[in-house]
Amino acid sequence: MKTSDILNKTKELFPYISTELFEEQQGRIKVDNERFLNVLAYLRNSSFVHLANIFAVDWIEEKEFELNYNLWSYDHNSSIIVKVGIPREKPEVTTVLDLWEHGQVYEQEIHEFFGIEFAGNPDLSPLFLHNWKEIPPMRKDFDTEEYSKRAFDVGEREGAK
Amino acid sequence: MSIDKKNIIAPYMTLKNLFRKTVTVKFPKEELDVFPGCPGVSPQYRGIHANDHEECIGCGACSDICPTDAIRLIAFEGEPREGAKNQRPEIDYGRCCFCGYCVDICSTGSLSMTRKFIHIECTPKTPDPEKEVNMIKDKFILLPDEKGLDDLGWNTPTPLSLLDLERVSMEQLSSDLRNDSFVEIVKGFSKEQAVKEASRCIECGICTDACPAGMNIPEYITAIWDNDNKASVEWMYKTNPLSNVCGRVCTHVCETVCAISHRGEPVAIRWLKRYALDQLSSDDVKSISGIDQIRSAKKKVAIVGSGPGGLAAAYFLSKMGYAITIFEKNKMAGGVMRYGIPNYRLPDEALDKDIDAIKTLGVEILTEIEIGKAKKISQLQKDFDFVILDTGLPIGRTILPDLKHDKFNLSIEMLEDISRGEEVTVEKKIAVIGGGNVAMDIARSLARLQRVKFGEVNITAISLESREELPADIEEIEEAMEEGIVLEPGWGNMEVDLDKKTNAIKGIKIMKCTQVFDQDHRFRPLFDEADVKTLQVDQIVEAIGQAPDYSFLDSYEKEVEFKGFCIKTDENGKTSLDWLWAVGDIIEGPDIVHAVSNGHMTAQAIDRIVEGNK
Amino acid sequence: MIDLFTDITEIANKDGNKVYDIFFGPNHPGMHGNFGYVVDMIGHSIAKARVNAGLLHRGFEKIMETNLWHQNLSLIPRICVVDPDPNEAAYCGAIEKIMGLEIPERAKFIRTITLEMSRMTSHLMGMGSVGGATGLYTVMYLMLADRDRLLDMFEWLTGGRIYHIYNIPGGVRRDLPKGWRDKLYGLMDFFESKLKEYDEILYRHPIIHKRLKGVGVITADQAKKWGITGPNLRATGVKFDTRKAYPYAAYDQLEFDIPTEKEGDALARANLVRAEFEVTISIIRQALDKLPEGDVNIKLGNPLKFKVPEGEAYAKVESSKGEYGYYIVSTGGIKPYRVSVRGPSLPAGLFLCHKHLPGMRIDDVALWMNTLQICAPDFDR
Repeated sequence: MKTSDILNKTKELFPYISTELFEEQQGRIKVDNERFLNVLAYLRNSSFVHLANIFAVDWIEEKEFELNYNLWSYDHNSSIIVKVGIPREKPEVTTVLDLWEHGQVYEQEIHEFFGIEFAGNPDLSPLFLHNWKEIPPMRKDFDTEEYSKRAFDVGEREGAK
Repeated sequence: MSIDKKNIIAPYMTLKNLFRKTVTVKFPKEELDVFPGCPGVSPQYRGIHANDHEECIGCGACSDICPTDAIRLIAFEGEPREGAKNQRPEIDYGRCCFCGYCVDICSTGSLSMTRKFIHIECTPKTPDPEKEVNMIKDKFILLPDEKGLDDLGWNTPTPLSLLDLERVSMEQLSSDLRNDSFVEIVKGFSKEQAVKEASRCIECGICTDACPAGMNIPEYITAIWDNDNKASVEWMYKTNPLSNVCGRVCTHVCETVCAISHRGEPVAIRWLKRYALDQLSSDDVKSISGIDQIRSAKKKVAIVGSGPGGLAAAYFLSKMGYAITIFEKNKMAGGVMRYGIPNYRLPDEALDKDIDAIKTLGVEILTEIEIGKAKKISQLQKDFDFVILDTGLPIGRTILPDLKHDKFNLSIEMLEDISRGEEVTVEKKIAVIGGGNVAMDIARSLARLQRVKFGEVNITAISLESREELPADIEEIEEAMEEGIVLEPGWGNMEVDLDKKTNAIKGIKIMKCTQVFDQDHRFRPLFDEADVKTLQVDQIVEAIGQAPDYSFLDSYEKEVEFKGFCIKTDENGKTSLDWLWAVGDIIEGPDIVHAVSNGHMTAQAIDRIVEGNK
Repeated sequence: MIDLFTDITEIANKDGNKVYDIFFGPNHPGMHGNFGYVVDMIGHSIAKARVNAGLLHRGFEKIMETNLWHQNLSLIPRICVVDPDPNEAAYCGAIEKIMGLEIPERAKFIRTITLEMSRMTSHLMGMGSVGGATGLYTVMYLMLADRDRLLDMFEWLTGGRIYHIYNIPGGVRRDLPKGWRDKLYGLMDFFESKLKEYDEILYRHPIIHKRLKGVGVITADQAKKWGITGPNLRATGVKFDTRKAYPYAAYDQLEFDIPTEKEGDALARANLVRAEFEVTISIIRQALDKLPEGDVNIKLGNPLKFKVPEGEAYAKVESSKGEYGYYIVSTGGIKPYRVSVRGPSLPAGLFLCHKHLPGMRIDDVALWMNTLQICAPDFDR
């Protein structure tokens, strides 16, 4: 099946999503926080077994985090990215561990870098950062230059344009 | 892959490797011999940098593109050059990742990477770790220079440069559409063209150093690229209130020194300036020029003449709170901008936009009042605190002052008449004497009138200078030739041939000029008497230079110091009399943007004196 | 009396010995990159494993948001040290997808050639490491010495041996130097002749068979649902390759087949790499034959003022380790808004360890990592 057909079929079953076809083999689905698990479960069962990546984008102006689930179907050779918007003030969402076991690691990484809570994830301990006491660093309001100057006591480099 | 059957000999087969040559290269005793034709590392190796300091212009593009912020520009000790900044790049090899972007973007091609990759420093035996760290920091920050230029590795010839080297071409009216009307030739950029052209700029700032008025060129170009035309015009007005004019006819020294011009075509700074102004309504421009400034009544200043210098001085002084009155002898303000430059280059509407913006500040322009006749300069000295002279060079020179003939004309008078819309003498065959911009202006204007009157063009431009020495702008010469004007460069010493019976001009006899300037660059033309020819013409127009008219100075002419035929002033425009200042062509010229700069400096100097005396 | 061949774990269990912790890495000769596992051991078997990552964390994804589009290309090869070209190609591919750019044909073929050469260097290093991890050091040195010849070709073309920084949005930076093609043809002939030697010293070696058989078994279903890609997936029997399924560069104009193995253990993965050598050599030869004339890049203007229009795109490539993917979000400015890197070592290294390591002997951990081609820089970023 072509990606456009898959998107249309999904939209028929879940009328509350919005779909977009980016390329012949790549499409996007946007769904809200309350109902995204249904869409993910349906897609997984319709041959989108491969979860390539989960990542988050910080839309600070619109005050929301956008979680992206990057799915691939071996049968249809089609890539679909499911986007879920969650509010920035209270970023809590449920885990997809039951659908994809390795999602646990991706969620652990996102929790560490963005501060998003995943209910049901057994291990959200820090993976990469040791002794981190600032705000989650991938958020847009974290200024790396200001932090470096404060933490490492480096002076100004004069002259560089 | 399955396991082989058991084999007794198999382990002994490895002995054949005893006799094979090793792949190890015992560097530095042996040298690598991998690449054909060059021992050692590859011919495109990305090693330690080298920089040709004579070619480098210090633009800083390398510092901007460096991903690791490894390049810093430091002050340079050599001779300062025109069109170059006095700084050179220095590289911190603790940060450099050897990507080679700095070499690919270098605007002159002076920076390259060599095939050298070994840099040795001995660490001191000091027990102080901080000292050691600082010493290592020092020793690993190197200034690339000519060492290594003989052993180049990664370098970037011009076709591979990352910069955008081709200019967006400006549409112009083709010569068959423009040669019988005075409609403006240059059509102007569209929005996409302007944004693309503005994106070529690397913001080095060499243009700002070269501009006589010191305009903030990288800032206004970046504002155009950001689609913020209002911010762009605000930047322009900080130094030049005549940007509509300069955006059309400036001599653009900025473009001559533009960093991109070394390997490609310079950024079209003049057309971008025009683009930004054309997008704004005149109300926007007036608000930028500062109509709603709170002003306190400081001193009063009179300005004689409304050329670019006087208008600029009026704008800046008025913004600082002075009451300005301009006295202009002609019917409309503008000076040489209105009466000297033809409409196809600078339409009156553009000039009026600038003048209106200045008038809204409260500057009073009184036209048709000639100082020296309607009002005396001594009266001005009494009524005003300062007087600025901007009278320009209104008198045309002539080689034959005794010849008085109605078909022997001066270009400056004809240009004035044409711009006023008055009838001028146009004969079938015209010779224009002169090789500068004014000669091209009058030749092209007369060509248009000839085409309307006779249906064809017959104009010859005769100049002492050879084709390469012609002082006119290259674009002027090329467009003139497209419009049908024939050049005769390198001829002079003319004699006018008059018909004995009717006294009409029959022809002009000219002699080959072998030299215009001598070794000391003094004007000493030499001619070859054997090489003479005669051209058949009905009318001769001279465009060989202009002179000032100081008759209005009355008795002050004896008190003012002169330098040649110019008034002698200090660097701010003050003459030998404290209340008398001068700007524009009468102090030096030679073009509009220099006059604007004069006006700005004079305004600031006057204000310093007034504020200092409080 | 202890029988010499009784399993130490049995002894430890019977004696009721306590579990003890061992840091496997980051300072370990068998470790791939700066990364470690903290393993709880009974005897010489592992009871539980914990990941000790973050030693190579450089904050790339955050830095990429503060750099211009072209400047990021100096960071990107450092995400995978052994196989840097697919990363550059994926990043440039994602930008080209957003802009809707079609790069010139010659650039596509040159990209293909450098991608395959890079795959070959990675496999040589990977297989050499498998040899090294089992104690066959000759294999390691031989393969690394041969890999050097490929690195010489890269040095001739791009000026650098490991970090090429050769792909830019719009194509590649330089054209092929004179004589490069012929030398590469000669090199492919050389490698083809060397394959027999590799078979003798590595692939038909009884020690390798004994050590690698049965280590880290993955079934096809498990691989698909656990996000395992690349040779690890094909070794379980799934005939899938991104180069054919979602083509990029010039792969849709070349003919090659996809080898697979059935067992899904470490030996199958090693054998699959051996089969892929032949595929790689064939692809390089085809691409060199079909190389068209033309430009090598599209001029995109001043890199200091280069804007990518608003949009997002995901571009993925088949590297020697698995699927690398770059998701780029652009808001129309001169810097990216978000770049998310998908590396194959995250599911393999951080997740599969919990499935495979418990019960594995400590001697096999290095082997298991080498055959799965887990490389720390791409999940630490």
